[in-house]
Parts: sequence; C-alpha cells; structure tokens
Amino acid sequence: MRRWVGPALALFGAAGLAHGLTLGLGPGVIMDRAMVALEARGVAVHAFTTPQRVTPQSQQVVRSSPDLYYALCRYDLSEPGSRLVVGMGDWPDYQSLSFFDARTDNFATLRGTDKAVSTRLLPPGSPSENGAIVSPSAKGVILIRRLAPDAESFAAAVEAGKADACRLERTSR
Amino acid sequence: MMRRAGAYLVAVIAGLALGLGSALWMAGLWPAGDKLAFGDVDVRGWRSDFAIGSEAADPYTRLRVARHGLLALAQTEAVYFTRAVDDAGAPLSEGCTYRLSGGPMPAGWWSVTLYDGQSMLPANTDNALSIDGGRAGGGAWSAVIAPRRPADEGMWISSRGAGRFDLTLRLYMPEAALIAAPQTALDPPRVERVECPR
Repeated sequence: MRRWVGPALALFGAAGLAHGLTLGLGPGVIMDRAMVALEARGVAVHAFTTPQRVTPQSQQVVRSSPDLYYALCRYDLSEPGSRLVVGMGDWPDYQSLSFFDARTDNFATLRGTDKAVSTRLLPPGSPSENGAIVSPSAKGVILIRRLAPDAESFAAAVEAGKADACRLERTSR
Repeated sequence: MMRRAGAYLVAVIAGLALGLGSALWMAGLWPAGDKLAFGDVDVRGWRSDFAIGSEAADPYTRLRVARHGLLALAQTEAVYFTRAVDDAGAPLSEGCTYRLSGGPMPAGWWSVTLYDGQSMLPANTDNALSIDGGRAGGGAWSAVIAPRRPADEGMWISSRGAGRFDLTLRLYMPEAALIAAPQTALDPPRVERVECPR
C-alpha cells in the first residue's frame, strides 16, 4: 500500500500544477494567439487600423457585434522610455476607447459620446500622471467602439476614425 | 526500480491530464457544449457574469471569456447576457422559428445578436444578424428568428447556417439599477418557439 503513496502524491501534485498553469497562463496564451491572428489580418502596431464592417465574412474576433464599428491598435511599450498617445475623434453617438492588457483584462475605458477623447498610455510601473493611464502589461490592445448599426452610419464612422490616434512616443530618460 | 519509475511517470502524465481537463471543465470550455454554463447572474434564462473584463473575474470566468468573449467590456460600460435555449428550455436551433419580444431596456443602447456554436456570426449573407434598440424603438417590440425572411416587414434575425445557436443581449451604458439588482431592473426578451418543422 505504501508504495502507492509516492505516485499518488505525484499524480495530485501534477494535477494541481496543470490546473493552476491552465488557469494562470490560459488567458495570456489566448490573447497571444489573438494578437498573432490580428497581425496576420493587418491590424497594425501603434496605429488604428481602419476596419471593415463586421459581417460573417469579415469577423476577426469571437462575438463581434455587427452593429458596432471596431478599430484596433496593438501596442508594445517594452522599450524603455516609450509611451503611447491615444485619441478618439468626435462622434455624435456612443463611442468608447477601451484598453486590454496581455491577460485580457479591460483595465480602462473612456466613453466619448458626442465628444473627442485623448489620453496617454504609460508602460507598467510608471508613476501616475494627470490625464494618463498606466498599462499593467507592456503589450496589449486598444479598441475603439462606435455605434454604427447600418452601412451609412458605418461609412460616417470610418470618416470620424480619421481623427483617431495611436502613436508611439519616446521620452528622454 | 524501473517499475517504480514507470509508476511515477504514469502518475505525472495522468495528473497533468486531470489538471488540464478539470480546469477546462470548470471554466466551461470542455466539453464544448457547456460553454454558456457560467456566470453569477441569471435573469429568466439569460445568463451573465458581471465580472467579465475586469480584474475581479475569477480565473475560470477569465479563461472562459478569453476563449468566447475576448475584448469584452467591463460592467461599467456594458453587460452581456447570453442564452442558448428557448423559454421552454429547448436548445435554440436553425430548424425552428422563434418570436423574440420585449420592451424598454435599462441601458443607453441594446442589441440582440445571434451566434453559432463556435461563437461566430453564422455564415450567411442575409444581412440580418441582430436587432437593436434604435430599430426596435422605445416601447414593446418583437422580432422573428428564422432561417428565411418572414413574409411581413417586421424585424428579423436570420438563423440560416447557424445550426445550434445562442443569443447575446448587449446592454451598453447600463443603468446603475441593472448592475445593483438585475433581477428586478431587467425584463429580458422572451424567446418563444413558434414552430419546429424538422
């Protein structure tokens, strides 16, 4: 009987380890894969990519809404002294600027219904600054949503998107 | 000695499989059919987890949402309810016709969108994937969910090509009462099966 104690402990230990690693690393792995897929579909780093209207043929992310305009910007603040200038142009209906870290957390959202919005995104560990957001991870995704439920409003949202900004800046340190 | 090493090897491999499988099962990702069995809110069959998108999400919700609701907003901006069965508890199916009906929603804007079993929009070209508050107006409303456009001019969500599907109710700019007491603040859409010919 005693000879099974060691293997049993190994089994439970391995199970606990695999369980914890799956939960701990799973979202990051899924986000990594999504970032690779977005890159393959032309979503730029440090620039908002002009989107296509969400249809069954153009959808890139699970559970996208066909009623919304989505503009994505991937960011990478790994280099020391880098930060991001982020802006969302004026739009007469609902719009928001949301920030997602490498573990899929929505760590900040700015609503901009009927107004333009701008902010700065700082790398992890940065001291807080007025009007700026500190990212929990060096890499992530920024997403603009605009309410645009038909082709006409979507075309107008594309025009409004020309005022959006996702631009890397380097500060001297 | 070799037998003992073999026993340890088998135990570790079995443990790794057990740990992986249990994490996926508890997150609702395995088997695939359980993906909507999650959340801390259930309003007459519409399920949600108000921790979605936030750091407060438990690790199981976080893993499930990463797989099936990547880039979802936190509850301060939007809440998402999903259901995969009709009012009688039967799975939603492309082969059936349903009447979706409701009234005003406690949010600045809302929509109901149909997704297939892979959490994607069904591969059809009907341009009828959702309805929203702008089209429904501010009072009572109803829509038909069916694989073919109904004869009348009312609102229609196409289920063509969806197979077994589910519905997502998005509530943007939710009222504070919805977050505080969803059971009383939300009168969710009803999903009535009209016919099921096959």
